[in-house]
Amino acid sequence: MHKVADIVIGKNIMKANKKLADKNQKNFENHGIFCVDFLGAIGSGKTAFIEDIIENTDYNIGVLAGDVISEFDAGRIEKHNVPVVGLNTGKECHLDAHLVEHGVHDLPLDDIDLLIIENVGNLICPVDFELGSHMRIVVVSVTEGDDTVEKHPLIFKGSDLVVINKIDLADAVGADTDKMVADAHKLNPNAKVIKSSLKEGIGLDEVIAAIDEFKNKS
Amino acid sequence: MHELSMAQGIINTVLETSEANDATEVKKVVVEIGKLAMINPEQLLFMMNVLVEDTIMEDAKIEIVDIPVEIECAECGHKGNGKVDEEDHYVPMIECPKCESNALRILNGQDIIVKSIEIEKPDD
Repeated sequence: MHKVADIVIGKNIMKANKKLADKNQKNFENHGIFCVDFLGAIGSGKTAFIEDIIENTDYNIGVLAGDVISEFDAGRIEKHNVPVVGLNTGKECHLDAHLVEHGVHDLPLDDIDLLIIENVGNLICPVDFELGSHMRIVVVSVTEGDDTVEKHPLIFKGSDLVVINKIDLADAVGADTDKMVADAHKLNPNAKVIKSSLKEGIGLDEVIAAIDEFKNKS
Repeated sequence: MHELSMAQGIINTVLETSEANDATEVKKVVVEIGKLAMINPEQLLFMMNVLVEDTIMEDAKIEIVDIPVEIECAECGHKGNGKVDEEDHYVPMIECPKCESNALRILNGQDIIVKSIEIEKPDD
Protein backbone atom coordinates (compact mmCIF):
# COMPACT_ATOMS: atom_id res chain seq x y z
CA MET A 1 0.00 0.00 0.00
CA HIS A 2 1.39 3.36 -1.03
CA LYS A 3 1.05 6.59 0.85
CA VAL A 4 -1.53 9.05 -0.41
CA ALA A 5 -0.90 12.75 0.11
CA ASP A 6 -3.08 15.81 -0.41
CA ILE A 7 -1.18 18.84 -1.61
CA VAL A 8 -2.63 22.33 -1.69
CA ILE A 9 -1.32 24.24 -4.72
CA GLY A 10 -3.54 27.31 -5.13
CA LYS A 11 -1.77 28.44 -8.28
CA ASN A 12 -3.73 30.97 -10.31
CA ILE A 13 -3.13 30.17 -13.99
CA MET A 14 -4.25 33.70 -14.98
CA LYS A 15 -1.86 35.47 -12.60
CA ALA A 16 1.22 34.77 -14.69
CA ASN A 17 -0.27 36.79 -17.55
CA LYS A 18 -1.46 39.60 -15.27
CA LYS A 19 2.02 39.92 -13.75
CA LEU A 20 3.61 40.16 -17.17
CA ALA A 21 0.97 42.69 -18.27
CA ASP A 22 1.86 44.91 -15.28
CA LYS A 23 5.53 44.55 -16.19
CA ASN A 24 4.80 45.56 -19.78
CA GLN A 25 2.92 48.64 -18.61
CA LYS A 26 5.82 49.70 -16.39
CA ASN A 27 8.17 49.23 -19.33
CA PHE A 28 5.95 51.46 -21.51
CA GLU A 29 5.80 54.13 -18.80
CA ASN A 30 9.58 54.09 -18.33
CA HIS A 31 9.80 55.03 -22.01
CA GLY A 32 7.05 57.65 -21.75
CA ILE A 33 4.75 55.55 -23.93
CA PHE A 34 0.94 55.55 -23.82
CA CYS A 35 -0.40 52.18 -25.00
CA VAL A 36 -3.74 51.53 -26.67
CA ASP A 37 -5.10 48.03 -27.33
CA PHE A 38 -7.52 47.61 -30.27
CA LEU A 39 -9.96 44.73 -29.96
CA GLY A 40 -12.80 43.58 -32.16
CA ALA A 41 -13.99 40.84 -34.48
CA ILE A 42 -12.39 39.88 -37.78
CA GLY A 43 -13.22 42.58 -40.30
CA SER A 44 -14.56 45.09 -37.77
CA GLY A 45 -12.09 47.74 -38.99
CA LYS A 46 -9.26 47.62 -36.45
CA THR A 47 -6.44 47.83 -38.98
CA ALA A 48 -8.18 50.59 -40.97
CA PHE A 49 -8.56 52.64 -37.78
CA ILE A 50 -4.88 52.21 -36.95
CA GLU A 51 -3.92 53.31 -40.47
CA ASP A 52 -6.12 56.41 -40.24
CA ILE A 53 -4.83 57.32 -36.77
CA ILE A 54 -1.27 57.11 -38.08
CA GLU A 55 -2.14 59.43 -40.98
CA ASN A 56 -4.13 61.94 -38.94
CA THR A 57 -2.16 62.53 -35.73
CA ASP A 58 1.26 63.85 -34.82
CA TYR A 59 2.06 61.02 -32.46
CA ASN A 60 5.21 58.99 -32.93
CA ILE A 61 3.42 55.71 -33.33
CA GLY A 62 4.65 52.15 -33.08
CA VAL A 63 2.41 49.17 -33.78
CA LEU A 64 2.25 45.57 -32.63
CA ALA A 65 -0.01 43.79 -35.09
CA GLY A 66 -1.31 40.47 -33.79
CA ASP A 67 -3.03 37.91 -35.93
CA VAL A 68 -3.00 34.21 -36.66
CA ILE A 69 -0.83 35.18 -39.64
CA SER A 70 0.29 38.70 -38.91
CA GLU A 71 2.17 39.59 -42.09
CA PHE A 72 -0.99 40.82 -43.85
CA ASP A 73 -1.97 43.50 -41.33
CA ALA A 74 1.64 44.34 -40.50
CA GLY A 75 2.29 44.81 -44.22
CA ARG A 76 -0.60 47.28 -44.49
CA ILE A 77 0.69 49.30 -41.55
CA GLU A 78 4.30 49.25 -42.75
CA LYS A 79 3.27 51.28 -45.79
CA HIS A 80 2.57 54.20 -43.45
CA ASN A 81 6.25 54.35 -42.46
CA VAL A 82 5.90 53.56 -38.79
CA PRO A 83 7.76 50.83 -36.92
CA VAL A 84 5.59 47.71 -36.81
CA VAL A 85 6.11 44.23 -35.46
CA GLY A 86 3.81 41.39 -36.46
CA LEU A 87 2.90 38.97 -33.70
CA ASN A 88 1.95 35.57 -35.03
CA THR A 89 -0.30 33.67 -32.67
CA GLY A 90 -0.54 30.67 -35.01
CA LYS A 91 -3.46 28.67 -33.70
CA GLU A 92 -4.14 30.82 -30.66
CA CYS A 93 -7.11 33.11 -30.56
CA HIS A 94 -5.68 36.04 -28.60
CA LEU A 95 -2.52 37.96 -27.80
CA ASP A 96 -1.08 37.53 -24.34
CA ALA A 97 1.29 39.63 -22.27
CA HIS A 98 4.17 37.29 -23.04
CA LEU A 99 3.87 37.78 -26.82
CA VAL A 100 3.68 41.54 -26.30
CA GLU A 101 6.76 41.53 -24.07
CA HIS A 102 8.71 39.82 -26.84
CA GLY A 103 7.24 41.95 -29.60
CA VAL A 104 8.28 45.27 -28.05
CA HIS A 105 11.90 44.14 -28.00
CA ASP A 106 11.94 44.77 -31.73
CA LEU A 107 10.42 48.26 -31.52
CA PRO A 108 12.47 51.46 -31.02
CA LEU A 109 10.71 52.33 -27.75
CA ASP A 110 12.63 55.57 -27.20
CA ASP A 111 11.25 56.94 -30.47
CA ILE A 112 7.61 56.06 -29.74
CA ASP A 113 5.03 57.93 -27.66
CA LEU A 114 1.90 56.05 -28.73
CA LEU A 115 2.05 52.27 -28.95
CA ILE A 116 -0.93 50.66 -30.65
CA ILE A 117 -1.53 46.95 -30.19
CA GLU A 118 -3.92 45.26 -32.60
CA ASN A 119 -5.32 42.16 -31.00
CA VAL A 120 -6.45 39.03 -32.83
CA GLY A 121 -9.94 39.38 -34.34
CA ASN A 122 -12.07 37.87 -31.61
CA LEU A 123 -14.62 39.20 -29.09
CA ILE A 124 -14.24 36.38 -26.59
CA CYS A 125 -10.76 35.14 -25.76
CA PRO A 126 -8.84 38.45 -25.47
CA VAL A 127 -11.01 39.31 -22.43
CA ASP A 128 -8.99 36.90 -20.30
CA PHE A 129 -5.61 38.39 -21.23
CA GLU A 130 -4.52 41.87 -20.24
CA LEU A 131 -1.52 43.06 -22.24
CA GLY A 132 -0.38 46.08 -20.25
CA SER A 133 -2.18 48.75 -22.28
CA HIS A 134 -3.53 51.95 -20.69
CA MET A 135 -6.68 52.07 -22.83
CA ARG A 136 -8.79 49.35 -24.43
CA ILE A 137 -10.78 50.19 -27.56
CA VAL A 138 -13.34 47.74 -28.95
CA VAL A 139 -14.38 48.20 -32.59
CA VAL A 140 -17.62 46.52 -33.62
CA SER A 141 -19.05 46.90 -37.12
CA VAL A 142 -22.78 47.02 -37.86
CA THR A 143 -22.30 44.14 -40.32
CA GLU A 144 -21.70 41.81 -37.38
CA GLY A 145 -25.36 42.26 -36.42
CA ASP A 146 -26.85 44.77 -34.00
CA ASP A 147 -27.06 42.14 -31.24
CA THR A 148 -23.27 41.70 -31.18
CA VAL A 149 -22.73 44.09 -28.27
CA GLU A 150 -25.27 42.47 -25.96
CA LYS A 151 -24.01 38.99 -26.88
CA HIS A 152 -20.46 39.77 -25.74
CA PRO A 153 -20.90 41.61 -22.46
CA LEU A 154 -17.49 41.08 -20.91
CA ILE A 155 -15.39 42.57 -23.68
CA PHE A 156 -17.49 45.72 -23.65
CA LYS A 157 -17.49 45.85 -19.86
CA GLY A 158 -13.71 45.88 -19.87
CA SER A 159 -13.27 48.56 -22.53
CA ASP A 160 -12.67 52.31 -22.27
CA LEU A 161 -13.98 53.22 -25.70
CA VAL A 162 -16.51 51.44 -27.90
CA VAL A 163 -16.58 52.28 -31.63
CA ILE A 164 -19.65 51.28 -33.65
CA ASN A 165 -18.11 51.17 -37.12
CA LYS A 166 -19.30 51.04 -40.74
CA ILE A 167 -22.53 52.87 -39.92
CA ASP A 168 -22.85 53.75 -43.64
CA LEU A 169 -23.80 50.07 -44.13
CA ALA A 170 -26.40 49.97 -41.33
CA ASP A 171 -29.42 50.30 -43.60
CA ALA A 172 -28.09 47.75 -46.06
CA VAL A 173 -27.73 45.11 -43.34
CA GLY A 174 -30.74 46.22 -41.30
CA ALA A 175 -28.74 47.11 -38.20
CA ASP A 176 -30.04 49.51 -35.55
CA THR A 177 -26.98 51.55 -34.55
CA ASP A 178 -28.82 53.29 -31.71
CA LYS A 179 -29.53 49.90 -30.16
CA MET A 180 -25.82 49.04 -30.33
CA VAL A 181 -24.92 52.34 -28.64
CA ALA A 182 -27.58 51.79 -25.94
CA ASP A 183 -26.36 48.22 -25.31
CA ALA A 184 -22.78 49.44 -24.91
CA HIS A 185 -23.86 52.19 -22.47
CA LYS A 186 -25.92 49.71 -20.48
CA LEU A 187 -23.08 47.21 -20.18
CA ASN A 188 -20.46 49.82 -19.45
CA PRO A 189 -21.72 53.23 -18.30
CA ASN A 190 -18.12 54.43 -17.94
CA ALA A 191 -17.09 53.84 -21.55
CA LYS A 192 -17.32 56.43 -24.29
CA VAL A 193 -19.28 55.22 -27.34
CA ILE A 194 -18.65 56.65 -30.82
CA LYS A 195 -20.36 55.90 -34.15
CA SER A 196 -18.06 55.85 -37.14
CA SER A 197 -17.65 55.24 -40.83
CA LEU A 198 -14.08 55.58 -42.02
CA LYS A 199 -15.28 55.46 -45.60
CA GLU A 200 -17.50 58.51 -45.04
CA GLY A 201 -15.04 60.28 -42.74
CA ILE A 202 -17.31 60.00 -39.70
CA GLY A 203 -16.06 59.46 -36.15
CA LEU A 204 -12.29 59.38 -36.68
CA ASP A 205 -11.74 62.82 -35.11
CA GLU A 206 -13.80 61.80 -32.10
CA VAL A 207 -11.81 58.60 -31.65
CA ILE A 208 -8.53 60.53 -31.84
CA ALA A 209 -9.89 63.09 -29.35
CA ALA A 210 -10.86 60.26 -26.99
CA ILE A 211 -7.34 58.83 -27.18
CA ASP A 212 -5.88 62.32 -26.52
CA GLU A 213 -8.21 62.80 -23.56
CA PHE A 214 -7.43 59.40 -22.08
CA LYS A 215 -3.71 59.93 -22.57
CA ASN A 216 -3.77 63.30 -20.83
CA LYS A 217 -5.74 61.83 -17.92
CA SER A 218 -3.36 58.96 -17.30
CA MET B 1 -10.95 28.89 -27.71
CA HIS B 2 -7.92 28.96 -25.45
CA GLU B 3 -8.86 25.82 -23.57
CA LEU B 4 -5.82 24.02 -25.00
CA SER B 5 -3.23 26.43 -23.61
CA MET B 6 -5.10 26.66 -20.31
CA ALA B 7 -5.24 22.84 -20.08
CA GLN B 8 -1.51 22.69 -20.73
CA GLY B 9 -0.85 25.33 -18.06
CA ILE B 10 -2.88 23.37 -15.50
CA ILE B 11 -1.19 20.07 -16.37
CA ASN B 12 2.29 21.60 -16.18
CA THR B 13 1.50 22.95 -12.72
CA VAL B 14 0.18 19.58 -11.55
CA LEU B 15 3.12 17.62 -12.94
CA GLU B 16 5.72 20.02 -11.54
CA THR B 17 4.19 19.82 -8.07
CA SER B 18 3.81 16.03 -8.30
CA GLU B 19 7.42 15.54 -9.28
CA ALA B 20 8.63 17.85 -6.52
CA ASN B 21 6.72 15.62 -4.09
CA ASP B 22 8.01 12.32 -5.52
CA ALA B 23 4.57 11.22 -6.67
CA THR B 24 4.18 7.94 -8.51
CA GLU B 25 0.63 8.72 -9.51
CA VAL B 26 -1.80 11.65 -9.38
CA LYS B 27 -5.17 10.46 -8.09
CA LYS B 28 -7.17 13.68 -8.16
CA VAL B 29 -6.89 17.28 -9.30
CA VAL B 30 -9.17 20.10 -8.14
CA VAL B 31 -9.42 23.09 -10.49
CA GLU B 32 -11.42 26.22 -9.69
CA ILE B 33 -12.84 28.14 -12.64
CA GLY B 34 -14.40 31.59 -12.34
CA LYS B 35 -17.91 31.87 -13.77
CA LEU B 36 -16.66 34.77 -15.87
CA ALA B 37 -13.48 33.16 -17.20
CA MET B 38 -13.78 32.72 -20.96
CA ILE B 39 -13.35 28.99 -20.64
CA ASN B 40 -15.85 26.23 -21.26
CA PRO B 41 -15.23 23.63 -18.49
CA GLU B 42 -16.36 20.75 -20.69
CA GLN B 43 -13.93 21.68 -23.46
CA LEU B 44 -11.20 22.18 -20.87
CA LEU B 45 -11.79 18.67 -19.50
CA PHE B 46 -11.74 17.22 -23.00
CA MET B 47 -8.39 18.89 -23.73
CA MET B 48 -6.94 17.81 -20.40
CA ASN B 49 -7.94 14.20 -21.01
CA VAL B 50 -6.08 14.26 -24.31
CA LEU B 51 -2.96 15.91 -22.89
CA VAL B 52 -2.57 13.70 -19.79
CA GLU B 53 -2.04 10.53 -21.83
CA ASP B 54 1.20 8.75 -20.87
CA THR B 55 1.77 10.94 -17.81
CA ILE B 56 1.42 10.04 -14.14
CA MET B 57 -1.87 11.95 -14.07
CA GLU B 58 -3.40 9.83 -16.83
CA ASP B 59 -6.01 8.27 -14.50
CA ALA B 60 -6.54 11.26 -12.23
CA LYS B 61 -10.07 12.35 -11.43
CA ILE B 62 -10.41 15.98 -12.43
CA GLU B 63 -12.85 17.93 -10.30
CA ILE B 64 -14.00 21.37 -11.44
CA VAL B 65 -15.36 23.80 -8.90
CA ASP B 66 -17.06 27.10 -9.85
CA ILE B 67 -15.79 30.38 -8.45
CA PRO B 68 -18.84 32.63 -7.97
CA VAL B 69 -18.99 36.16 -9.34
CA GLU B 70 -18.32 38.92 -6.81
CA ILE B 71 -18.96 42.52 -7.72
CA GLU B 72 -18.94 46.04 -6.35
CA CYS B 73 -21.83 48.16 -7.60
CA ALA B 74 -21.02 51.74 -8.61
CA GLU B 75 -24.68 52.77 -8.23
CA CYS B 76 -25.72 51.49 -4.78
CA GLY B 77 -22.40 50.35 -3.33
CA HIS B 78 -23.44 46.72 -2.92
CA LYS B 79 -20.42 44.49 -2.49
CA GLY B 80 -20.82 40.73 -2.81
CA ASN B 81 -22.24 38.18 -5.17
CA GLY B 82 -23.39 39.44 -8.56
CA LYS B 83 -26.68 38.36 -10.09
CA VAL B 84 -25.82 36.17 -13.07
CA ASP B 85 -28.20 35.38 -15.89
CA GLU B 86 -27.00 32.39 -17.83
CA GLU B 87 -30.23 31.66 -19.63
CA ASP B 88 -29.24 32.92 -23.04
CA HIS B 89 -25.49 32.90 -23.10
CA TYR B 90 -22.65 30.88 -21.88
CA VAL B 91 -21.07 34.18 -21.01
CA PRO B 92 -23.26 35.41 -18.22
CA MET B 93 -24.81 38.84 -18.04
CA ILE B 94 -24.11 40.30 -14.64
CA GLU B 95 -26.05 42.84 -12.68
CA CYS B 96 -26.28 44.12 -9.12
CA PRO B 97 -28.73 41.90 -7.18
CA LYS B 98 -29.96 44.95 -5.21
CA CYS B 99 -30.46 47.73 -7.75
CA GLU B 100 -30.06 45.79 -11.05
CA SER B 101 -27.39 48.22 -12.28
CA ASN B 102 -24.81 47.08 -14.82
CA ALA B 103 -22.27 49.62 -13.59
CA LEU B 104 -20.14 47.11 -11.74
CA ARG B 105 -16.58 46.44 -10.89
CA ILE B 106 -15.84 42.72 -11.05
CA LEU B 107 -13.96 41.67 -7.91
CA ASN B 108 -13.87 37.92 -8.42
CA GLY B 109 -14.90 35.26 -10.90
CA GLN B 110 -12.40 35.57 -13.74
CA ASP B 111 -9.61 33.35 -12.44
CA ILE B 112 -8.54 29.77 -13.10
CA ILE B 113 -6.84 28.20 -10.10
CA VAL B 114 -5.19 24.81 -9.64
CA LYS B 115 -6.47 24.32 -6.12
CA SER B 116 -5.06 21.00 -4.92
CA ILE B 117 -3.96 17.52 -5.92
CA GLU B 118 -4.06 14.11 -4.35
CA ILE B 119 -1.01 11.99 -5.12
CA GLU B 120 0.30 8.56 -4.38
CA LYS B 121 3.92 8.25 -3.32
CA PRO B 122 6.19 5.37 -2.33
CA ASP B 123 6.57 4.46 1.34
CA ASP B 124 9.60 6.03 3.00
